Order: sequence, then C-alpha cells, then structure tokens
Amino acid sequence: MNMRKVLLGFCFVFITSMGVWAQSQTVSGRVTSADEPEGIPGVSVSVKGTTVGTVTDLDGSYTVSIPENASVLVFSFVGFRTQEVPVGNRTEINVVLEADVRVLSEVVVTAQNIERNEKSLGYNVQSVRGDVISQRSEPNILNTLQGRVAGVNIGSASGSPGASTNINIRGITSFTGSNQPLLVVDGIIMSNDTDNTQNTLFGSQPSNRLGDIAPEMIESINILKGPAASVLYGSRASSGAIIITTKSGKGLQDKTEVTVTSSFNVQDPIHYASLQNDYGQGTTNNYVSTSTASWGPRFGTPGFETVVNTQGEEVPYRLYPNHFDLFFNQGRIWQNGVTLASGSENDNYILGINTTNQEGIVPNTGFDRYNVQLGGNKKLNNGVQIGGNITYVKTKQRNGTAGNGGSAMGQITRIPRSYDFGGTQWQDELGAPIYYNPPSTHPFWSTENEMFDSNVDRVFGNFTVGYDIADWLNVTYRVTADTYTDRRKQTLRIGAARNPQGQIREDMLFRSEINGDLLITMNKSDLFGTGINGNLLLGQNINQRDFQQISVTGDQLTIFGFDNVSNAAVFTNSFESRNRRRLIGHYAQLNLDYNDYLFLELSGRVDQSSTLPSDNNAYFYPSAAVSFVPTDLFDLQSSVLSQIKLKGNVARVGRDATPYLLATLFGQASYGNNLAQINFPLSVGGANIPGFFPQSRIGSMNLAPEFVDNYEVGMVLGLFDYRLELDFTLYNMVSTSQIFDVAISPATGFNTRTTNIGRMINKGIESTLRALIVDGNDFSWDATLNFTLIRNEVVEIAPDVDNSTIEGNSFLGIAPSIAVGHPYGVIISTAFPRNDNGDLLINPATGGFAPGVPGQVIANQQPDFVVGLANTLRYKNFTLDVLLDAQVGGELYSFGQVDLRSGGHIDYTGVDRDMPRILPGVIANGDGTYRPNNIQVPAQTYFAGLGGLASEGAVFDASVYRVRELALNYSLPANLLGNTPFGSASIGVSARNLFFFAPGFPADPEVNTQGAGNIQGMDLSGPPQVRNYGVNLRFTL
Amino acid sequence: MICGALLAGTACTDFLDINESPNLPTSVTPDVLLPAGLAGTAFANNNELNRFGSIITSVTAGAANSPATYDIYTIDGANFNNQWRFEMYNGSLITYRNMIEVGEELGATSYTGIGKIMTAYTFSIATDFWGDIPYSEALLGDQNTSPRLDTQESIYLGSEEVQSLFDLVREGIADLQSSSTVNPGQDDIVYGGNSENWIKAGNALILKLANTISRVAPDRARQEIESVLQGGNFIQNNDENMVFTFGSSVGSRAPVYEYTYVTAFSNDMMISTRFKDLLESKNDPRLPLFVTRPTGEYVTIDNGFRGALPTPTSSWSRFSSYVVGDGGEGPVRFITNAQVQFILAESALLLGTPGDAEEHFQNGIRSSMALAGLSTGEIDDYFENNSDEVSLNGSEDENWEKIMTQKYIASYGNGVEQWNDYRRTGYPVLEEHQNAVGIDGTRPVRAQYINEEVARNSNFEVILPTVPVWWDID
Repeated sequence: MNMRKVLLGFCFVFITSMGVWAQSQTVSGRVTSADEPEGIPGVSVSVKGTTVGTVTDLDGSYTVSIPENASVLVFSFVGFRTQEVPVGNRTEINVVLEADVRVLSEVVVTAQNIERNEKSLGYNVQSVRGDVISQRSEPNILNTLQGRVAGVNIGSASGSPGASTNINIRGITSFTGSNQPLLVVDGIIMSNDTDNTQNTLFGSQPSNRLGDIAPEMIESINILKGPAASVLYGSRASSGAIIITTKSGKGLQDKTEVTVTSSFNVQDPIHYASLQNDYGQGTTNNYVSTSTASWGPRFGTPGFETVVNTQGEEVPYRLYPNHFDLFFNQGRIWQNGVTLASGSENDNYILGINTTNQEGIVPNTGFDRYNVQLGGNKKLNNGVQIGGNITYVKTKQRNGTAGNGGSAMGQITRIPRSYDFGGTQWQDELGAPIYYNPPSTHPFWSTENEMFDSNVDRVFGNFTVGYDIADWLNVTYRVTADTYTDRRKQTLRIGAARNPQGQIREDMLFRSEINGDLLITMNKSDLFGTGINGNLLLGQNINQRDFQQISVTGDQLTIFGFDNVSNAAVFTNSFESRNRRRLIGHYAQLNLDYNDYLFLELSGRVDQSSTLPSDNNAYFYPSAAVSFVPTDLFDLQSSVLSQIKLKGNVARVGRDATPYLLATLFGQASYGNNLAQINFPLSVGGANIPGFFPQSRIGSMNLAPEFVDNYEVGMVLGLFDYRLELDFTLYNMVSTSQIFDVAISPATGFNTRTTNIGRMINKGIESTLRALIVDGNDFSWDATLNFTLIRNEVVEIAPDVDNSTIEGNSFLGIAPSIAVGHPYGVIISTAFPRNDNGDLLINPATGGFAPGVPGQVIANQQPDFVVGLANTLRYKNFTLDVLLDAQVGGELYSFGQVDLRSGGHIDYTGVDRDMPRILPGVIANGDGTYRPNNIQVPAQTYFAGLGGLASEGAVFDASVYRVRELALNYSLPANLLGNTPFGSASIGVSARNLFFFAPGFPADPEVNTQGAGNIQGMDLSGPPQVRNYGVNLRFTL
Repeated sequence: MICGALLAGTACTDFLDINESPNLPTSVTPDVLLPAGLAGTAFANNNELNRFGSIITSVTAGAANSPATYDIYTIDGANFNNQWRFEMYNGSLITYRNMIEVGEELGATSYTGIGKIMTAYTFSIATDFWGDIPYSEALLGDQNTSPRLDTQESIYLGSEEVQSLFDLVREGIADLQSSSTVNPGQDDIVYGGNSENWIKAGNALILKLANTISRVAPDRARQEIESVLQGGNFIQNNDENMVFTFGSSVGSRAPVYEYTYVTAFSNDMMISTRFKDLLESKNDPRLPLFVTRPTGEYVTIDNGFRGALPTPTSSWSRFSSYVVGDGGEGPVRFITNAQVQFILAESALLLGTPGDAEEHFQNGIRSSMALAGLSTGEIDDYFENNSDEVSLNGSEDENWEKIMTQKYIASYGNGVEQWNDYRRTGYPVLEEHQNAVGIDGTRPVRAQYINEEVARNSNFEVILPTVPVWWDID
C-alpha cells in the first residue's frame, strides 16, 4: 500500500464537491496505469482553462462535459505525472498514467492532519515513507529518520536497549521548555516524554515514549518544520511536529490483506577504545592493588611475576586483554508482526499486532514491546463519517546502571590491564561484592545486582465524527486520548557502591492527555470571479494533561536478593507529585489559491493556558505563508525546467509555562549530595521529625508566554522533467520572552528567580536535493541528499547574567549552560589557562598546566552541519538502500575517555611509555614574555595533565561520518507467486551503523548519557553505541 | 470539557483555574522550619567545611579526590559551593529568616530567639571562612538580587547600617526571655525546647565570637566576655553543650558518618599520622577513643603523602564513634563546655578577663576527656602522671600554645573551629604538608568566594585563599 492510496479517499471527497457545470460535449473513458490495469479511482479530470472537472470512480471511469471553446483534458493524480490530452472530436478517451517519480510534489500531511499538495505550501513539510522505516534493524522510529530529513538533528543516547533518542527540528528554541517536537499519531497528540526519574548521573537510560510505536504500523511520517507549519497545533508545536500516519484499510477495494513481517537482528557493541597491552595495574610504575589505573610496571618486569591483590591473594601479574569482549554480549532483536487490513468503498478496518524482543549488549538488559492496534472508518448511510482507532502497547525495559564511579558503566573504563576480569570471583556466597577497588563493584556484580526496570502500559486512540452539512461545509469533532502508566523499579542490592546498604526505588508514573478538537471546514471555488479558490478552517481545541508520579524509596535492606520495598527499613525519600494543566485554543486558517500558481495561507490562534496568571492567560499568534509557482503563471515549463516554486512565511508561536511556576513554595527539607545526604523527616532518637524549607526558586506572578518568531524564504526547483529537484530554505527564528529560572546570587537566600527574559536566534539552511540518476526499466537509482545547517546563538539572557545552567542533572563544575554569544547547551567548566596569544600556560614548578580557569565555555555540542545521503537502487526485483550520513563538528564531553587516557589504559598511553614527554605550552618568564615549555614529565603525569574529569581535556570532537544503513531487499516476482496464496513476498538483509569514521573520538561519538532532552553532548560513563545487522521477511496473503 | 465546548466565559475561567500546586505548600509553620534550619547548620559545620578544616590542620589526611587536593593546600572558587549555597544561604539561613518572620507574626518568641542565635552562629561560620560576606542585605529574595558584602569587621562589631553578631545574639536571648505563644518541643533537635539552655548557648556563642576577634579587637572582646561572665549564664557543663544529634538510619545520619563509613567516597580520607603522633606524644588517653584501630594498630598516612596507600582500606584509622556516633548520630558539636573553658583560659591569660587561666585550662581538658568517655579516675590518673601537659607553667606564649594545643585536641571532629583557632593564633605549631602546592605553597587562610557568586553578583571579586581575613592579624 502506498501513500497515494491513502489519499484517495480524501481527494475523492474533495474534488467531487467542486460541482458540475454547463456543458456542450460529453467525453468519457477510463484511467489506468501499468500497475493498476483495472483502473485508478479518484483521478482528477479537468478541462483546461475552466473550472469544470470530475474524478474517476472506483473502476477508473469518468464522464465529463466539455464547454464550448475548450479542447484539452487534464488528468492528474497524486503519484502520477499529469497528462494533458487534446479532445478533438472524440467522445471516449482512455488514458494510461505514468508513475511520477517526484517526491517533493507529493501530497503531504500538515497540521491537524490536513492533506495538502506540497506545491501550495509556503513552509516546509518533509515526508518520509513507511517503507524506509520498516524492517531496518532498528526498533526506535526516530533513529530510522537519521539522515533522511533536512533541518533536523537526531541523536540516540546509546546502544542500550530502549535508550531514548533526542530530536530537535530547526534547533533549540526554548531555554527550559521541551524542545522535542510535538508527536501526533493519527491525530492523537502523544507523549514523547523521557522522564529521567533516576538521577541520570547515576542510573539508567529510560526510553522516550515515541519508542512505544511499532515501525511496521507506520504508513508515513511528515515532519512539520518551523512555526508556520505547526501553528495550528499551537503552543505545543513551537518545536515543530512529527505527524505519523499509521496504516489503514483505505484503498483496499473489497479486499482483505494480511501482511506478515518478521526480522532478526544482532547488535555488536562498539568498544570504547583500543587498549594498550604492555603495562598493568598501579601508579608510577608501582603495583597498587586498588588502583584504577594501568600505570604499573611493564609486564615481565622482574619481581612482578605475581602480586598480592586487594583480597590478599597472590595472583599472576600479566595481561588480561579482552575485558570489553568478556563483559559485553551480542545483542539480539526479534521483531514480528501481523497486519490484517480490509477495505471497501464506505468502510475500512485494520488490525495490527507487532512484537519486538531485544536482548541488550550489556548483560541482563533488554527491551520488549507488544503493540495491538485496531482501527476503522465508516461512512454511514446518512452521510456521517465516523472513524477511530485504538492502540494498546506494553513496553518492558530492563537496563543496568550507568554513570560516574559506582556503576557497571562507570567501572568498565577503569579496569586495569592486569585485572583478571573474567576469571576473578566477584561475589561471595552471600552475594557480597568482591572487587579490586571496594566499595566499587565488579561490572558483573553491578549488572547482576543493580537493575532498572520500566513497565509501560499505554493506550491511545481517537474517535472522529464528521458530516458534510453542505458540499462546501464540513463539521468534524475529534477526541483523542493518550494515557500510560510506567511502573519503574530501580534495585540496588546490598553491597551496591552507590547505596551500600541497598535501595529499592519504585516509581509509578502516570501521564494522560485528552484533546477535543472541533474543526469546521469550508471550501468555495471561484470566490470573486474566476480563479480564486478558498478554504477556511475554524477550529477549537480543548486540552488537558495530567501527570502523576508516586515514588517510594526503601533504603537499608536486610535480605540480600529480596527485591521488594518490604525489605527496607527507611522510606525517607518517598513522595507524590501531580500536575495538571489545561489549555483552550481557538484557531482559524484561510487558504486562498489563485489559478493554482499563487497560494496564500493565513493562520491565527488564541490560546488560554492554566499555567499563566489567571488574569492574563490568553495570547494570540498569527502566521502568513505564500507560495508562488512562476512556471505555471508564465508557462515556462520546458524539457529542462519543470517547476520553480518560491515560498516564504512569517509566523509566530507562543508557548505557555509549565504548571505551578507562579508562587514561591516550600518543600520537604534535604541536604547533601552523593557524598552524604539527609532527607526529612529526620529519624532522630526514635522520633520522626518533619522539616520544610523554602524552595530555592522565587516564583513570578507576572509570568507571560514565550514567543518564537520565524521568517523564512525558500524555493523548489524541478529540472529535467522533475528528475532533479532542489528544495532550499533559509530561515531565521527568534525566541524571546523565555520563561526562565535566572540564576541569582545565592546570598539572596535563593538560587533562581523565574521570569521572562532572553533572546535566542536560530538561523539555518535546510535543503533537500533529489536526483533520479538512473531510471531504466530494470535498473533505477535515485538519491536524496538532506542538508542541515543550524546556527544557534543565545543573544541575551537577563541583565547582568552572562550564563546560566540548564535545568537537569549535572556535575558541579561541568555545567551544560546557556551563555551569551554562544550556542545553546555549551558546557561551562574549567579551561586550560592560556596567555593572550592563546598558548597554553605551563606551571614551571610541575611541568603540568597552570591552574585551570573555571567558568569557561569549553564545549559546544551543536554540529556545524549534518548531511545525509539516501540512495535507493533497484535492479529488477532487488532494492538496495544505502544511507550515508555525517555530522561535522560538535563536541562531546566524555568521562569514559578521560578514564581510559588518564588511567593509562588506552593504546597510545602504552607507546614509548618510558620516554619522558613535554606538555604543549609556554612558560611565563615573568616579564610578559614566554618561553616554550621544556619541562619533561613522565607519561603518567603527561596523560593525567591532558585533563581530568572537570576540565577542557575531557572534550572531544564528535564529528562522525558513517554508513548509517544498508538494506537489500528481494521481492519475489509475481509469476513465482502465482500459484501460492501469497500476494507478495520479500526477503532482505539490513544493517545499521556498519562503518563509521570518527577522527576525533576513539569510539562512536553518538552517545549522550542524559538521553533525549535539553542536555546534550555529555558522555558521563554511559553504555556504548552498537552496530546492528540482520535478516527480514515480509509477505502478504 | 463541556465548558470549553460551550465557550462560556466564566466557566472557562474555572476550568483553567487549576494552577495551585498540589505538591508543595505556599506557607509553613515554625515547628517544621526549625529542624530544617538546625540540620542545615549541622551540615555546614559537619560536612565539607569540617573535612577541609580537619585536613588543613593535619588532623586528617587526604587519600584521594578532594581531600587529597585539600591536603596539598589547593582550594579555589569551585570548592564549598554546596556549603555556601545549600547548607547556609539557601538552606539554614533562609530557613531561619522565614522562621523568624512567621514567628514574629505568631508571637512565637522562643522560635524567633532560637532563629536569631542560630542565624548568628551560621553567619559566623560563613564570615570566618570567607571574610567579607553578604549579611545585612542578604536573604531578601528578589527585593535585592545583588546584596552588597559587609566587612567582617562590621559583621562582628556592627556599624550604622549593620547589626553586629553580638547584638543579634542578644536580641535572640531577649526573645527567649520573653513569653512565647508557641514553644518548640522535639522539633528543637538541639535542646528539645529548653529555652534556658538556649540562653546559655547564646551567651556561650558571645564568648566564642569575642574569642574570635580577641586579637584584632581585644577591648571589644574583653568587654563582651566580661559581660557574659557577669551574667554567669552560659554553658558550664557537658549536659549543656550545644549539639545537634542526627539519627542512625539512612537519610538521617550525620554527613561525617556517611562520608567516613558509607559512601563510595569513604576511602578518600583517614586520620593523619601527625595527629596520632601528637596525642601519643602526650600519652593522651583520648587517642584510642577518638581514632579507630580496626587491626589493633593505628593505620594512618602523613599529610600530603603521595605514595601507595595502606591496604586494605578496612584497616584504616578513621573518625571513631566519638565523632560519628555509634550509628551515624554524631553529634555535631556546635559549642561545648570544653571550648568555653579554653576560651576563658585564653582570655584570662591574654585579655586579663576574670578567672584563673590554668583552672579554666584544666577544666577544659577534663571536660573534653569526660566527653570522650573517660572516667573521673582515669582523668585524675592522667593529670597525675602528665602534670606538665596540664599545667600552665611556662612563658605566656608557651602557656598560650598549651591552651591552643589542648583546645585543638578537644575540638577533634570540628575542623571548622580547629582551622579558625589555628589561623587566629598559629597554634598548635603545624609542619607544612608534603608535596604542598596551593597558591604559593602555604596553607590557605580563607576560602575563595564560590564561582557562582562571582558570576552572578558584581559585588563579588575573586580574593585568593592566601589573603587573611580581618580577625587573622598575623
């Protein structure tokens, strides 16, 4: 089933409403294509130069009356090349349409699921077909979009099962709000939240909830870019929107089709680095049993044949080369699905069942997802159209612990080269950890005894009822709901480094969103004389969002391995948190179309939000978009030039606050951090004493909405009969009036003050170049290049505020921040000291760098540009998809790599280790002049000097060039299937991330410990990335 | 939902009027603020500042991470950020301020009195560490987002615009002496609601504050001490000690316990060889009560030591239950009788305040030994066999050194006071640590303003840890 069939129903309704006109000659006939010899329904048949027209019926037949002085019929249908046929004296004209290879001119799904011809749009909507998402060795849809969409940055947290994926469309527009696009599935506004309930400096990587959607159910994805495209969704879509349309039975004509898909993939971990093989545990050439470093004696040094380990045992001192191999497993992903679809003229139904089962690369991790979707549409005899669908999803995720220090991932980069990783007992009979460096634990102990589980039960669905009151007036009401509970449990058994007495944390997260939308659409042709067609949409949206978290933390466990909170003695960290927000929006959109070459769209929306001060909670925002096709106006089409379209828009979107920001509040008191912590109520001398203190944030009773203003211009150029198409857009997006917790002098008694401040600009180029390079009968090759360049700059924060930390977990001294003059999300930490020439300054006493300069911008995670090249090669029944992509620029802050380097584990620290080295830099002579550093230091001092955790030395270039995806499919020829029950069958192999080249980073730099969200570019000891490959099978009955 | 569909104006206002937090209160009562404030001050005294003070005065030694950095004299504006923010200004101090405001509305003078005394005590920790600090303009929220720094001199002595810490304490004592509409009970984790003890603590605090400025402003110090002595109502036995007791369960335990025995950072610090040697040289019977010996031997390292650490870590000598409690209770000793006695001894010796210096000196030692768990008989034995240690029989400077050395020992577990006294007097004489770096190889004599303040409030400028505070005159 392809896109145009989905559109059929819509076009049918729309075009028949155009009416019938005075006539003088009647022509009839049938429209077919090579693929559909039985006839194509819904083809538009119009008389050139008039507004007379009709559409073909279900078997492709039409009858049209031609006014006098008209002589040409125009046959057009989405997905086919338009044909103009002179009538002459004929009364029967049969037409065979040729498939149109164009993509950019396809009908796209815009805001509120309105299907529009791309030609008429003054903004950018990019469409991705479901067949490039399905069966691509990848259970998370967002990851399959990497490289396929211009103007979008996508990055996954890691290769851990179910780990979240971040997506930003046209950059970051809000200092603190969510910058993830709105997710709309079949009109249902869905949560794509990640909910990092665990402290992400230590914990696991929960999924973004878009991961609940099965790739196999997707018909198409439309990405709405920029405020103009998404203005009808209001505040929610100021970061753009992802509109997903799932499969349905539309287009099946009295036919039932069963589709079965199955795939199996394996995942190989991409190791953090290659390691040196000559030196073992210790420091300064001495063996130290508790050392996390490999700066010990060279293997084979006399006197070091054996050493005494931390447990007092005599053990060989030799290389244990492959602890990464011993630790990581090969992951496995099984995906299976059955879809049953049925359709006829007035109704259609679909039932889809999909399963995904994944075993992760880290021991004792996995991801399982079960989806059941049921949907249908029916047109009743009285003309009322009803439709709906409902999906149930069960998602189970099990992850290990990650984060600095006491976690499996925190330890795996600190394994000395002489530690017998695989052969050492890591747990005693009672389960207590045994390790070389207590209270840290062996990674196997961690994966066996520190677990994070997430169990999601989710139901979402919609119900739509619509009626054509007149042929020009439709009223539709749509109710959508999305609700889920995520039952999470983090188990840290007795002995865990982070909680030596054990801890069980249970979180119940509940989220629901209900939307009611009233949509009134009016169509009128020939509004003021000939040529102007109008379409007016009036809408109202009522929205309610609820969130509740119930969290119980049980500390001080008694029985090892009894993973239940009833095993705990202390419950001081338990709480409940609820929030509810409501919004009422009214919107209107007017579309004017002048002779199919000039299009104007005017939109406006007023929102009233519960989260703003009640006396000032309404805000309005408008947009205007223009599209002009001079090739149609001036008849410029030639064999070279197919189309020029110029487009532009001006738009504004407002965004409300999060709930409960207005008042200054008190909270249960607590003090401390991971070094020591207390939480009220305090248990003292047998009494439980409650304690509250002021929250560190000062509220604002004058809070106003945030705004994003967008200006964009672009053009679409089609050449050589559309075999080469270029879509090029420039935009400038300005975010103002940001709702932000401005950091204030802590001596005020508070840490932040909520207010509207700031200004941030995103300028960008997004461009898609598509070429049909070869278009033969047996062989074709088309290629699409997507280019994304975004320049983000924080122009202004608040008076006297140069920078401020982004909300979220971060280590002290390594703060993801906004800083004036820098892109969003830079990391502020300690920089190496430099003189005015930019030379690094060396401390003459030590030969190391002089003391660092705190508070400096040391890393920018935003790439210079991102480019993706998607190739589809077809040879007979073979299809090969090759997706290449590259991120150029952008930086990554990595704990793990610092561990490996300063610990003397990584390969290059073993080369010429005995040779003294000189850190690059200069020494101050004291008179304002400098001399080159000539102080020799040992290798250990040198590599430690290159930077510890909270320093510039932990920053790496994250540029990466990769073969993102390879997929080879073979469709069995129809003649082979003739005597079988199969309608179609295909088998394929696919692979993701097969090769990559990262010049500045020893491993795959596409990692981000904190997952989806505003903090990016941090690798704080998280799981590594993976390489996936496998086989898949699809057939229909 | 229906309301919206009908577009009814007033009904929609109700529909949207749901923005009051169900999770956090907008106002609270003094009885929940008091324990939160006290715990914050206890944290400030007992956590990172204590670790730093203990290391820099050679009581403990750093084995790894920040303690190892302190041990070679290195601190900067990234240090003590949590202490300044979360334990003091954004923690205990703003909580006391709210408690005083609510207490004044309610006429709960016992709460306002405790609040003022604790505010003065907490500010004294801050100014002793950082010198000039926001004080008179601090804690005003968005009424003043760039509070100015008051000089340490004006904070101690007062000025036209600045209420002195002494006067703040006296105001607190006066509040405690008036009748209160509401009185604390078990929410007063320090004295269980005993106002008399709070008054004694207030007067003892005046002694401590006066002692701190006794070298830079001896006349004012003498006057303050004499006035307290005249009243005679200050801490005079260990039962009256101003201490905050934590609990023994996870989430209620003293930070020094958590740090020493529980967290992943528990092997970052141990007892210094120098402190152990000092007590051994004095045959001090408190040594085995202060310092653990898991293997029967003291396993310690020297300050600044950079060689292989003793193994296993479970053999290390650490803070004993005297400091951390049997199960993490602490207590955190804000002011003890021993401390008061040593203050009186020093004052009698150098300022000529009433009382016999040696008598106060010996009372201080006895009080500390008793607190450590020694019986009167054992203390008497020690005094008998080590008479030189407990006698002020030398020159004034020698006697002063003895007083300060014994005060240093008695302050074990309170690194904040040990560092204050060392900076003020130079006693006990401490050798430089091995591998010392710092700014210029000398011990820090102040904490550097935290980077956040320097970045957010233009009244702050960087002052390096080598610059002494006002009361530190040599």
